[in-house]
Parts: sequence; C-alpha cells; structure tokens
Amino acid sequence: MDFGLTKQQEMLRNVVREFAEAELAPRAAELDERGEFPLEQARRTAELGLVGIVTSPEYGGSGMGHLARMIAIEEVSRVYPPLGFFLQVAPMGIYILETAGTEDQKRKYLPALCRAEKFIATAVTEPTGGSDPTAMQSTARADGDGWVLNGRKVFITIGEVADLVVVVARTDDKFNAFLVEKGTPGFEAPRREKHAGLRSIPVSELAFTGCRVPKENLVGQEGRGLAAALAAIAAVGRTGVAGVALGVAQGSYEAALRFAKERRLYGRPVADLQAIQFMLVDMNVGIEAGRLLAYKAAWLLDQGKSPRDAGADIARAKLYTVYVANDVAAKAVEVLGACGTTPEYHVIRRLRDGLELLAAAGTQQVMKVIIGGSIVR
Amino acid sequence: MELIVCVRRVRDGAEPGRSAIGPLERHALEEALRLKERFGGRVTALTMGSPPAGRALEEALAAGADRAVFLCDERFAGADTLATARTLSHGIRRLGPFDLLLCGNESATGATGQVGPQLAEFLGVPCVTHVRRLEAPAPDRLLAERALEHGHMRVEVRLPALVAVVKGINAPRLPTVWGIMAAAGKEITVWNAEDLGLDPGLVGLEGSPTRLVRELTKEFGRRKEIFSGPPEEAVKKAVARLKELGVL
Repeated sequence: MDFGLTKQQEMLRNVVREFAEAELAPRAAELDERGEFPLEQARRTAELGLVGIVTSPEYGGSGMGHLARMIAIEEVSRVYPPLGFFLQVAPMGIYILETAGTEDQKRKYLPALCRAEKFIATAVTEPTGGSDPTAMQSTARADGDGWVLNGRKVFITIGEVADLVVVVARTDDKFNAFLVEKGTPGFEAPRREKHAGLRSIPVSELAFTGCRVPKENLVGQEGRGLAAALAAIAAVGRTGVAGVALGVAQGSYEAALRFAKERRLYGRPVADLQAIQFMLVDMNVGIEAGRLLAYKAAWLLDQGKSPRDAGADIARAKLYTVYVANDVAAKAVEVLGACGTTPEYHVIRRLRDGLELLAAAGTQQVMKVIIGGSIVR
Repeated sequence: MELIVCVRRVRDGAEPGRSAIGPLERHALEEALRLKERFGGRVTALTMGSPPAGRALEEALAAGADRAVFLCDERFAGADTLATARTLSHGIRRLGPFDLLLCGNESATGATGQVGPQLAEFLGVPCVTHVRRLEAPAPDRLLAERALEHGHMRVEVRLPALVAVVKGINAPRLPTVWGIMAAAGKEITVWNAEDLGLDPGLVGLEGSPTRLVRELTKEFGRRKEIFSGPPEEAVKKAVARLKELGVL
C-alpha cells in the first residue's frame, strides 16, 4: 500500500504552502480582526486554480481531484482558516452545477465561478434545522414560464457576497433547486450573523418574497434538487471541512511545538518536560490519524466512488478531524500557558475558527447518524 | 524567441513550501516566461547535477517552461565554476541556436558570480551581469539596467546574449494547478558526458582548476563593556579603550 503522494501532489503542497506563507501569513491576523471577506486573497486562490480544482478543465476548472483539493485546503487553512473555509464552500455550488446542471447552465456560469469573478452560495438550511432538511418550509411554485420562491434561509455561508445562490425549496412533497441571481426582485440578504470564529467569512440570512426565477434556472431534474445539494455537501462541503480542520490542527500544533522548544523552565525547554511533550504527542497522533481518514475519503472520490457510497468514509473524516482540530487548538492554548489567549501567538484565533467547524457541512451528530446508519443497516 | 534558463537546484529544497529552484534562478525563469508571453517562442530550463536536481526542472516546467534538459552524470560532481560553465555550454550548444540565455547573477551558496561570464565566453556571446531591469524594445535587442554598488548603468545588447539577473527584477510567479498538471506531459531530456561530447577529464572535480578547501562561517560575537561615571570621564575611558583595541 503506497501512502506516498504523487510528485504533482507534493508540488501542489509546496506551491500552496509558499502562497500561504508569503501572501496570507502577514495579513491573517489583521484580516480576521477586520472581519471583511478577503476578496483579493480569494481571487488569488482562483488564479492558482484552487477554486475549480475538482471541476473539469472543459468548464474552466483545473481538474486535479479531491485529494489535491484536500491538500490545498489544509495548506491554506494552516495559515488562514477563513480562506480555507471559502475553498470549502465556493466549490459546492460549482459541483452542483457540474453534476446536475444543464450544458447551458454550466457554460454560462462555471468559467466565471472558477475564476472567482463571481461567487456562488448554496442555501439549504432554514430555521427548521439544517440537520432536518426535509422539514424546510421554503416553497417553490410553478407559475407560467417560471417559478416563484418564498421563504427564508439561515446560516448561509458567503450568502451576502454571492452573485448566485443555489436555493433548495419544496414543491408539495418534492424538493427543487434553483439558481437565483443577486439583484433578482424578491431576493434579499437582510442580515449578517455574527460568529465567534472564521470572522472574515460572512454568514447570512437570505429572504425570498415572491421571488420569480425563469424556468431555465431550475437545477437538475424536477424533484431531485435536494438530492443534488446533499451530494455536493457530502462530496465537497464535508471533505472541505475536513481539510480546514486539518489545517487548523496543523497550524495550532506547529505553533505549540515552536513555543515549547523555545520556552524554558527549570533550565530546559518545556518540550522536554513529559507533561508538555505528551500533550504534543497527543496532538501529533490525532493529526496523523485524522489526515489518513481525510485522505482516504478524498481518495475514494477520486477513484470514482459516489458521494453516497463514500458517505460513511466522508462522515468519519469530518467527524474525526473536526474533533481533533478543536482538541489540538485547545491543547495549544494550554501549552502556551498565559500566552495562549493573547492575539500575538495566533492560537486563540485558531480555536475560535475550530469551533465553527463543528456545525459546518452537517453537525458532528449528523455525522454519527450517517455512520450509524451504515454500520447497523 | 528561443529562451534558455539555467536553473540551479537549492541544496535543501526538499522542505514543503521551499522552492527547489534557487531564488535568483526563479527571477531568471520569470523573466524568460514574460519574454515568451510577449514575443512568443519557447523556454527551455537547463540544469547540471545529480538526480535530485531534477526537481528544479519539474518546478520550472510547472511554472511554464516548455521543455527541460538535465545534464546528469555522476562525473559532473564536484565541479567548480569553470567545469560547470564548460558542461553547461556543451548542453546549450547541443540544443542549438538561442536568442537569450538567462541565469541568476550568483548562486545562493558559492556566490562567485563566475558561471554567467564564463558561460558567455564559452559560447561567444555578450554577457550582461547584475541586471535588475530588462526591457525588450524588439525581440533581438535588449535594454538592461545593471545594478552597481553606487548607482546603476544602462546598456543595450544585441541578441544572442547572456543576461545574469539580480533580486528585485521581477516577482516570480507560482506554478498553478494547471501548470503542475501540464508539466507531467512535458519531457525532461537527460544527457551525460558522452551525449555532450565531453572529455571526462574536463568535467566535475577532475576538470576543476579550483578546489573548495574549506568553508568558514563568519560569526559575529559581541563584547559588552560599560563605561560609567560623568559623561566627560566615561567618554575619555571609551576613547582610550577603543584606541587600545586598535579601532581608533
């Protein structure tokens, strides 16, 4: 069994790491503090080919695959998790269009989305709960040569900067997905929710009031809209979150290790004291294990497994890496002692970002439901 | 335009996030890629070394070089600047006519700055070193701004020529995912001493008139002395001490 990465994957890791160190590290704390969407940095990732990394070159993507994407997201998140989170969420809408969209829709939207000239959000969650998507209340009613949408979506990542939103709504007892362009009458992003972490990534509420969309904006087959969205959340959202989690963990661990090697107590580096060293060991092992689960899930998708068939593996990856990220970030705060909560050492920022991953692309508990279903069935 | 870039491998480029190509060589490669974007043509990356040096070429291909040539032979090991320049010149001659040969002004390690001028001499082309800015008014004529210790010099050079670049000439691009994937389809041609028609006695350690005897790291220590008392007295003591040390 070959655990090695290909030469291309290694080169990708090097390139993204260099990008992150040179262009993100100097501004990470400031961008986080300002809480503004990092537009310039997002465009840079698109220039490098990272936004469309699982999208076919036919539509403007770079098509390197899910494992490559995982590596890229981890390297970005190691330095600046919010941008990694952007790379997690932006390709979801792209993936829905590529897998379920019409040829016209793909040619019309995908190239600009891969270049980050336009941004796309995916709106499924409502106050009734993202974990219970079939309970959604938003409706889509066929009306003449189009559809009319009514309802409210919450916790929609990049909802307010998105030029396009894939909205899932109920039509009687079926679910349809629609592309809604910013500026369409009856579509508003009224409120931005405040978060403890990933502060530069806006998460908003979206409101649809008699919002009319043309019939060519239906995405996928009638009645298959939710299925298309859920497949994207699994294949792209969840794996992306695992990548962000790995980055948060790796960045926290390196910060703790660096500190522990320099800080001296009782005449030696605290990294030599077992109490601290064993904490670093726990971090190290957790990250290695999480990375293997995450890589396996990505690898399965690259091998052609459907998001449904790889569902349990993807859920395991997200479940484990996110708990590891939160644990490692918290341990890093401890290893740094009183410096742990000061902004200069950046570990507290990572802990806040790690918390946002718990409910992203499905809660940890929903991950367990998925895995439970696969083992008990 | 036929552009050739001499790419040097950084000895410890094996770390993630560190390029395998030397810093000045990345500037040289970037300049070549920009000229190609402007005038069309081909960029060839060339290096001499042992097998791990191939990584630098893979990176050059991913950044946009069209092809790569690897002068690889264990007999090339231990080469000083002259043997290196000789070997490179044979490789370049085998490639055929070129318009511009670009390299870093000096390596990050030896920093002699000799290979560029030696190579130009072997090939019989004009050599412009310490170039911090390059303008191309026409595809056969360059205007180069050379960085001098106190100021700069502008020269015009007709092609073919060799240009050795310094830091700050440009901002080297990062390979993109598209570039990384395209690189897999690009060839790296490998030549050894026989392929280059080189006498083994003229390459590597054997072909080096200079030998590296010893490398010393300059260490700057610090000595602290405090001169106390009222200012006039303290200054007198300090001046006396500096005279004692032979500084004044």
